[in-house]
Amino acid sequence: MTTQIVEYHSIPPARRGLLIASKWLLQAAIVIVVAGLAIWLGLAVREALARKGIQFSFGYLGNVANFSLSEGLVPSREGNWLVLELFSPTHTNLQALLAGLWNSLKVALSAIVLCTLFGTLVGVGRLSTNWLVRNLCFGLVEAIRNTPLLIQIVFWYFAVVLRFPPANVASNWFGGLLASRSGVFFPGLAISERAGVASWGLLAAAFALVAAYVVLRGLRLRLILLAAAISALIAAAFIGFPLGLDLPVATRFGARGGFAISPEMTALLLAIVVNSSAYVAEIVRGAIESLPKGQWEASASLGLSRSHTLRDIILPQVFRIVLPSLANRYISLTKDTSLGIAIGFPDLFNVYGTVSNQTGRNLEGVVIVMLTYLALSWIISGCVNGVNARVNGRRMR
Amino acid sequence: MTTVALRWVHRNLFAKPFDAALSLVVIPLMAWAVYAFAYWVLVQAHWQVVGGSFKVLMTGIYPADQLWRAWFSVATICAMFGAGLGLSVRPGRAALTVVALVVTLTGVMVAVAIDAHSGMLAAGSAALGVAAWCGVHRSALDQRLALSGLLAGVVAIFVVLSPPGFDVWGGLLLSVVLTIAVSILTLSFGILLALGRQSRITSLRLISTAYIETMRSVPLILVVYWIWIIVPLLAPDTSVPGLLRGMAGFALFFAAYVAEYVRSGLQAVPKGQIEAARSLAMSSWTLNVDIVLPQALRVVVPSLVGQILDIFNGATLVFIIGLTDFLRAGQMILADPQNSGRTYEIYVFLFAVYLAIGGVITYASRRLETHLARGSR
Repeated sequence: MTTQIVEYHSIPPARRGLLIASKWLLQAAIVIVVAGLAIWLGLAVREALARKGIQFSFGYLGNVANFSLSEGLVPSREGNWLVLELFSPTHTNLQALLAGLWNSLKVALSAIVLCTLFGTLVGVGRLSTNWLVRNLCFGLVEAIRNTPLLIQIVFWYFAVVLRFPPANVASNWFGGLLASRSGVFFPGLAISERAGVASWGLLAAAFALVAAYVVLRGLRLRLILLAAAISALIAAAFIGFPLGLDLPVATRFGARGGFAISPEMTALLLAIVVNSSAYVAEIVRGAIESLPKGQWEASASLGLSRSHTLRDIILPQVFRIVLPSLANRYISLTKDTSLGIAIGFPDLFNVYGTVSNQTGRNLEGVVIVMLTYLALSWIISGCVNGVNARVNGRRMR
Repeated sequence: MTTVALRWVHRNLFAKPFDAALSLVVIPLMAWAVYAFAYWVLVQAHWQVVGGSFKVLMTGIYPADQLWRAWFSVATICAMFGAGLGLSVRPGRAALTVVALVVTLTGVMVAVAIDAHSGMLAAGSAALGVAAWCGVHRSALDQRLALSGLLAGVVAIFVVLSPPGFDVWGGLLLSVVLTIAVSILTLSFGILLALGRQSRITSLRLISTAYIETMRSVPLILVVYWIWIIVPLLAPDTSVPGLLRGMAGFALFFAAYVAEYVRSGLQAVPKGQIEAARSLAMSSWTLNVDIVLPQALRVVVPSLVGQILDIFNGATLVFIIGLTDFLRAGQMILADPQNSGRTYEIYVFLFAVYLAIGGVITYASRRLETHLARGSR
């Protein structure tokens, strides 16, 4: 005997249609409300601006800027060539924003490199077997993470960098590094006149050989490439080396020659590097502690010293784990450069403020700046994701 | 005794050649730095500048004859903080001793810096906080009651402080009140955003995601500045005080971060919980409010407390809209040519206060983490 199912539960077609329709209606309602809000916002702002006699357009970007910035390079056309030159008031507003972007990137990129190095060092220091080093690193990291970045920037600027000696009495360290209140000067590279075509060629050959040495990992005889590169360098030096060191020479109000960093950039860079290093240190420490203890024990039982274990076993694995967190840190670091306005560093946000004060065009400016920061975030996370895929992809194979 | 000490030194500082070398470099450096700093603090520094400008540092340009309003806020904030502690941390004897010591020390320092009257008021406010801590812990008040108490406290602070006008708020008081108000605003808005991002309605999900991702990739200073600029354009007939515009900017920005924390909590709620609630025919409101959110928020409470520190640290950015917060008040004092040589005194004081508040918040966050981890085994 078979039981017959006499009753079963299902949604009748009419009700089903109603449910689907209501779902779509809800979707449409949400879209309409949000789009309506956005349009109302845009219209209200446009109307308010129109009352002030301003129309929404990006045409002002082509106008002459008429203000000066303390630093910043802009791309500019010279004949058929695109060259980088110092920003001057005769450049356009767009070029002013580009100079600001250049300044922001300058700080952000140097800070990314430096904070990764110092952060890793401090992070390893927090796990040192030396009690004093361990607690010193802990104290520094906590002190930095628990105070606002802005006060650190302001402190570095007003209480440290502006307290450096004036340039004419500034100390010369290590044969050329000059720290003064008008900026920090490094020895730069300069092209010397004695160089001929032959020495340039030899230098280029040396670079090519080193590049080949790096790229051709599998080649057995690649040590020969390195030897050839070194001999090319020596030969170039004998013929007349094309590049020379350009040491800064202190003058009354600054220094001539060399590679200069303005006091604002020095302070901002110092503050951001120190601040981000503390965060990177925490990331690195967390990653080291998250590794299985067996890794330490196995390498210890193989007779590796602690420093060898750290360098060859632990850090390569840590590098794989920390990449996503580092990407987040790099993005916030890039956004933090906008605090440079507090000490008058002409970064993107600062220049945007100046431009919109001069032209009254806040809305267009904010769209540009927002899109720029969005693009920067995407580029950074894209780069790190790329490295991440490469590094972790290799492990899979 | 000495053998124990020597063994400790040997084991912790000179265990290996490398450690020994490090110690030999670090110990003299540290000794010199500590000596130089202590000498400066105790002998060279002129701390009168901090005492003389204490009122400006704490309340900015708030009218001097209205200071009782500021004291009321201080007492309310202490009580609120104490009540918050009482919900999670047991007032043990050691903790109470430390707190009592700190309270007395603060009272004495304020009394020395300004006058005995202020010192007593400061100590009294702190004592009120301790009383709230013990009281709330004893009576095991319902958490919802505590939350409404918190809201009432914030409203009371606003009502009492506002009569002289929002423009005169300043100093540390401004930073703290801004932080508290923004924390509450961001929590509610952030939860909504997180639920929106997890929603089954595609358009809602897309819009929430776009909002969160955009806010997370632009700098705070840009958002605050822009809201400050745009509100007068939207409402040309009314004049919204700069403080409220600033708060709106902070809330809109930090809500995106809170939303991400809450989302991580939502994802930690086991799916069976939601399915079980659905099979009991709960409406989605009851499901979220009574089943999902209590479990999700519990996981992320430590992160949310850490977020309060981020807001407090971010509050220094109000200088961009012309408000005088704690840091700005310090800079204003230094702008006075009379105090131009006192840069280090003011900055060290600012650092110390920021570090103390940040340390307390971080400590609370860590304690909460262990406290909550105990329950979920």
